Amino acid sequence: MPSRVFEETVLPHLNAAFNYARWLTRKDEDAEDVVQDACVRAMRFFSSLRDDDARSWLFAIVRNTWYSRVTRRGAINPLPLDMTDDPADSAPNPEARLLQQHTVARVRDALEQLPVEFREVLVLREIEGMSYKEIAAVVQVPIGTVMSRLARARDRLSRVLKSSPAAMERAR
Amino acid sequence: MICLELEQHLDSYLDREIAADSAAAIREHLRTCLSCRQRVADREAVGRLVRSMPYYEAPDRLHVHLSTHVRRARVARHLFAWAAAAVFVVSVGGVISLVRPSATGDDRTAGDVVDGHVRSLMAGHLFDVRSTDQHMVKPWFLGKLDFSPPVVDLASAGFPLVGGRLDYVSGRPVAALVYQRQQHTINVFIWPTLSDRQNIGAWTLRGFHVRHWVRDRMSHWAVSDLNETELSEFVAALRRM
Repeated sequence: MPSRVFEETVLPHLNAAFNYARWLTRKDEDAEDVVQDACVRAMRFFSSLRDDDARSWLFAIVRNTWYSRVTRRGAINPLPLDMTDDPADSAPNPEARLLQQHTVARVRDALEQLPVEFREVLVLREIEGMSYKEIAAVVQVPIGTVMSRLARARDRLSRVLKSSPAAMERAR
Repeated sequence: MICLELEQHLDSYLDREIAADSAAAIREHLRTCLSCRQRVADREAVGRLVRSMPYYEAPDRLHVHLSTHVRRARVARHLFAWAAAAVFVVSVGGVISLVRPSATGDDRTAGDVVDGHVRSLMAGHLFDVRSTDQHMVKPWFLGKLDFSPPVVDLASAGFPLVGGRLDYVSGRPVAALVYQRQQHTINVFIWPTLSDRQNIGAWTLRGFHVRHWVRDRMSHWAVSDLNETELSEFVAALRRM
């Protein structure tokens, strides 16, 4: 497979792949390493790209690369069974409350606190605009699982954000 | 439709992943149920907040690194293909000549030039020296290349010079001059040559137009997504200078 075709089909999704990796890892340096490894892998396995959905294909490789790194390091936290552990608003002083009104920072923190399985479906759906089918291809779970994870992710995020009404108000 | 049902289909409704008739039933229900409307609005607000998040873009060095990696792999494959061809030629007793028309070499260079152009735009690395002053751009190349590229501004012809950079084309360091026409970027790659080509070569590759000519033993390659007429105008203006 000529690499010129790789340049045209896969590399245009580099920024999107980086954004996804950044939300998975929550660190610039880690995201960069993951995407670099993933692209080298993608090049090697380019002939396995059957349909023309290069973005989902690349994202799946990014996810696999990330996953094998964190499991090797033993750093992954499995999805907690207890869903009631809201990171409650534990900021009694006025200064911290003021900080919370900075919507972007607040929402980003709330998202980053979500278990990664929830965080990623929200990012793929809302930021990348992927369909359930595409998300299922990236995360490699059934579509029904995508649906329930999204619902739980939104439940959780809105519960966290309700402790910061300013953010919700501004979104409305 | 009762509220509990909506609760179950809330997300697939908002994500438009629900059958049209179910969606219609939900819309119907929402017209009369204030609390469900509130629930939908809350849910939409969550989505909007996530969408308002910053989009993290890959750093330039990652773009550059990967483009380089892809190029290297391609060069390796070309070498392999040529080696295989050579073995084949030798094995059939040298009856077939490896000599190919020189146009083929130019075709390959035209492809490399387009790669260079795309890379400069993708990696956001258009300039090493950003200046509209030809007297600043030309000396900038001193000591960076073993030749001195001709640098002229074409603002008077409607193609202002915006800068220059060092680039690599077909495995050699070259001068790249950057010109602008409205939102279109024109890269002109220049390096010394022994060829004394008289005419202008033209290619269209992957939506980019390429023009090639030789002047004073300098190989010039202009590439842009600009339309052919204006690119020809640009080349004519540059050759007049």
